[in-house]
Amino acid sequence: MNAMSSRKFVMFGLAPALLIYGLFVFVPVVWSAYYGFFNWSGFGDKQYIGLANYTEIIHDSTFWRSLKNNIIFVLAAVFGQVPIALALAVILHKNTWMQRFLRSAIFLPMVMSTVVIGMVWQYIYHPQIGILNFLLDAVGLSGWKLNWLSDSGIAIYSLVPPLIWSFVGLYLIIFSSALQNIPGEIHDAAELDGAIGWRRLAYISLPIIWTTVQVAIVLCISGSLKSFDLVYIMTRGGPAHATELLATYMYNSTFTSYRYGYGSAISTMIVLISLVLIGTSQWLTSRKSRS
Amino acid sequence: MKKITALTLSIILLILLSGCGGEENAQGAGTADDPVKLTVWHNWTGQDAKSIAMRKLLDDFRTAHSEIELEDEPLPTDGLKTRLRTAAAADEMPDLFVMWPDAMTKEFVKGDLIQPINEFLDSKPEWKNNFIPNALDGYTVNEQIYSVPMNLAPSSLLFYNQAIFDQYKVKVPETWEELMKAIDTFNQNKVIPIALGNKANWVAQSTIFSTIGDRVTGTDWFLKAAEQNGASFTDPQFVQALTVMQDLGKANAFQSGFDSIDETQMMQLYFQGKSAMVINGGWALANLVNNAPAEVLDQTHVTILPPVPGGKGEAQSTAGVVGTGMGLNKKLEGKQKEAALQLLYALSGPEGQQATLDSSTLVSYKLELDKSKAHPLFVELYDLIQKTKISPVYDSKLSSAAVEVTNNGLQELMMGGNPQDIAAKIQSAQAGALGK
Repeated sequence: MNAMSSRKFVMFGLAPALLIYGLFVFVPVVWSAYYGFFNWSGFGDKQYIGLANYTEIIHDSTFWRSLKNNIIFVLAAVFGQVPIALALAVILHKNTWMQRFLRSAIFLPMVMSTVVIGMVWQYIYHPQIGILNFLLDAVGLSGWKLNWLSDSGIAIYSLVPPLIWSFVGLYLIIFSSALQNIPGEIHDAAELDGAIGWRRLAYISLPIIWTTVQVAIVLCISGSLKSFDLVYIMTRGGPAHATELLATYMYNSTFTSYRYGYGSAISTMIVLISLVLIGTSQWLTSRKSRS
Repeated sequence: MKKITALTLSIILLILLSGCGGEENAQGAGTADDPVKLTVWHNWTGQDAKSIAMRKLLDDFRTAHSEIELEDEPLPTDGLKTRLRTAAAADEMPDLFVMWPDAMTKEFVKGDLIQPINEFLDSKPEWKNNFIPNALDGYTVNEQIYSVPMNLAPSSLLFYNQAIFDQYKVKVPETWEELMKAIDTFNQNKVIPIALGNKANWVAQSTIFSTIGDRVTGTDWFLKAAEQNGASFTDPQFVQALTVMQDLGKANAFQSGFDSIDETQMMQLYFQGKSAMVINGGWALANLVNNAPAEVLDQTHVTILPPVPGGKGEAQSTAGVVGTGMGLNKKLEGKQKEAALQLLYALSGPEGQQATLDSSTLVSYKLELDKSKAHPLFVELYDLIQKTKISPVYDSKLSSAAVEVTNNGLQELMMGGNPQDIAAKIQSAQAGALGK
């Protein structure tokens, strides 16, 4: 087959996927950007108001609070999930029965529905019958008891442990397989040169799997920018917007306040913010690989 | 190689084409004239007496009218509300659907999605004239009546556990002072005075604040403020109402962390005897009767919140709405409209109202309760409502956007927010929604 026809084949093969992608991802994005210019309750008359929704967003303290909460989530994911998963992968790298069991146990939350995870943690944090406050009482730290999910100052941080816990298993599996793919000869050679223990980890294993770590970080960023379900189940963005994320704020504006125009404007902002963040991370990684 | 490519492509094409074709066929059947097909969306999903009674009415209708193909889709309440909005946006409303009075009805009329049933109502005067006063107001827009209520939902009732009151020698509060004293005594004895679960943030607004607001400001002021006609939410009486609510929170009337538990967990606290009182709507009664342990249920009685000193509102009143009604799709005509109206009558006509009342649900229709059959707590509620005036619930009169701001504002208020700032936010949301 010559180059021309194989290119044609590639085009043909890609066409259905591109078509579906365009129809269900690209078109709705453009569409919602268009709705963002209207004052609209979802049905009935649309009223064109130009950039008014966007100027309102700029002055909307709840929007900025959601963005801040989203950034807390991204940071917690990148600096929580990735290092913990990496450490666990290093500790649990052997294929013994016990370690395989532990890996599966850590992976377990990944296959549980977010609704279940949310409910479980809600009862852990329950102000009256919650196991966390009960434990604090039992070890004599009653002064540390808090209203974990209803104190507006700490609620967003209370959501971080369930977030980390539920995704750490995924990165553990990714890192484990990356570590196991390092050829044995390299380790043998390192050992001959006297690199064992921490040295081998820092100078041999980590540099080899570094590209995997980078991929994991990108996954982390995009995953936590999209966070919605856990927060929606556990706090619905409350109390008084304290745990609102961009996605929950968009959802609440659209489907609770019935301001479709404003909600659409927020989703357009989410697209723009994501593009900026992804662009920055792409630029940072490509710069590193060139140097 | 080329042959395989061509084969693959044609298979893909075939699948795509047949997919599209299938859909068209299905739509064709939908618009066929014979037999008459009706789609109905409702929220009678549960195993509670009312849902079962309503589903039975649907089944009876199906048996009685073999010429009508009834396709009903049960959805949980929140899901139904969202789904209706989405369907409205796409202009794909079902033929007949459960809808709410006031704000939702108005928005649907504005969106030109539903049609009035005046003619049908007038043809059955013995039915029309038997509704309680003002029952049809929530479904009336510009003199046109769009539906009739199928029940009555007081949203703010004080359920209390007599045994706990007796144990600590507390009087069931009839004045605000007595309420505050009761809260104090219960707190000293480590009993939760009032259980509250405000994670879904409509609870505090609908069950507590709507009544407090009405007590302080009076109904007239609220209706004016809701229409932004001669009153504003920044008026001192509204700030005063917010302050009363905030003071309840400051007095620890509710257990700590109430913003992190939901309505179900709130009822759990009451069922477990951990709280002396709980404030909830009429819908909680079925839950109590079915799920509360006997020792709590036998001691449970129902009353309304005491009047607020200096308030302008009526004392013997509580917040509530006439219940949901069936909305009729604007597009229906001829045989289909005829069938839909018959179903509407089956569900909300005299027999439907009787079936609803028999399932321990209040109705906005004049009917005598058979007290020998009903649960004693329901009889108590029925008698209470006969002598109590229903005042408007905030979320039924305000725009959706202002309701959301109010709900969040009340959470903020209970965390120590400034009542004046919160009042200003509610005012600007309502004014913005009305375009004023």
